[in-house]
Amino acid sequence: MALTLRSGYLEMLRTCWRLQARHVKIPVLNQMGLLYPAIARHQSSQSKLPSSSYVPPTSLSRPPWPEVSYISSDEEERHHKVVLENVNTLLAKEDYGRLFAVVHFASRQWKVTNEDLILIENHIDAECGDRIRLEKVLLVGGEEFTLIGRPLLGRDLVRVEATVIEKTESWPKVYMRFWKRHRYQKKRIIVQPQTVLRINTIEVAPRLT
Amino acid sequence: MVFLTLSCWIRNRGPDRYWKVQEVLSNARHFRGRKNRCYSLAVRAVRRAFVYATKARKIKRRNMRTLWISRIAAASREHGMKYPALMHNLVKSSVEVNRRVLSDLAITEPKSFLSLAKLARAGQQEGFGAALGDGKEPPGVFSRIVTLQ
Repeated sequence: MALTLRSGYLEMLRTCWRLQARHVKIPVLNQMGLLYPAIARHQSSQSKLPSSSYVPPTSLSRPPWPEVSYISSDEEERHHKVVLENVNTLLAKEDYGRLFAVVHFASRQWKVTNEDLILIENHIDAECGDRIRLEKVLLVGGEEFTLIGRPLLGRDLVRVEATVIEKTESWPKVYMRFWKRHRYQKKRIIVQPQTVLRINTIEVAPRLT
Repeated sequence: MVFLTLSCWIRNRGPDRYWKVQEVLSNARHFRGRKNRCYSLAVRAVRRAFVYATKARKIKRRNMRTLWISRIAAASREHGMKYPALMHNLVKSSVEVNRRVLSDLAITEPKSFLSLAKLARAGQQEGFGAALGDGKEPPGVFSRIVTLQ
């Protein structure tokens, strides 16, 4: 008798759950506690229920891409001004030590300082002892600052001077091809002209906007 | 053919065999075993050496480039960036420093490399900001995701 009554009551409760909205949970649960005292004990032993707006964090609660910190344009401008002032004061004082420059010359890029020797694997139309200005400068840097060109720095900003020291030929390189069992081989000796440049000075003009 | 005296029966071989052999052996002097002394073995070894040298000059360029790339990747990871992101953002900022010089800067000029990494990072953040936008749906679009918030 008691069992059938209990089952009937449970069915009524289930229909109630389906018919009513979700926010009527609490009284239903209390009814469950009355029916099954074990459940009531379990509920009372737990801490009080969290608020309905709380969602526990999962792997999908934040987007998978990293959070981006936005800097306002005013702040950025202020930052730029500060940096410009510092670099201009440094350049005006000429307090920097040794400067290095990244120069584009003879279809290659060279990282260059004072008193550097560069070996270039081709012929240059300048005599030995001529002073040359390397114009395509990509980057200039010192101990405290770096000037990055996009892609080149201005001609009136940096001046890199070099002297042609030596014009020679490379050692005779052998170009050989051989195909076994086909009676095919060719041998050629390649001698390339070389030029040696000594970088004399790198100068930066104190003019930045 | 009529040779009337004995001296005409003697064959005249080439006068410079010695120098032709020395030309090949001089390239083989640092080899191991009989290849550095005996001409027949040396010819084959020298031929292989020359062919390997020719091929290696092409492969050296490839290997150097991979070395520069791995160095730049390691240096950029020290600053919290990855190699593809760094290169893409540098190209977008129209900085045309090549990989060889970038790896040299990473080794000898760490501050300059840091400044380049920061430049690339700024470009990257700008790209993210442009892609993400306001975080709001465009007007007139109905979406469940917005309402469930």
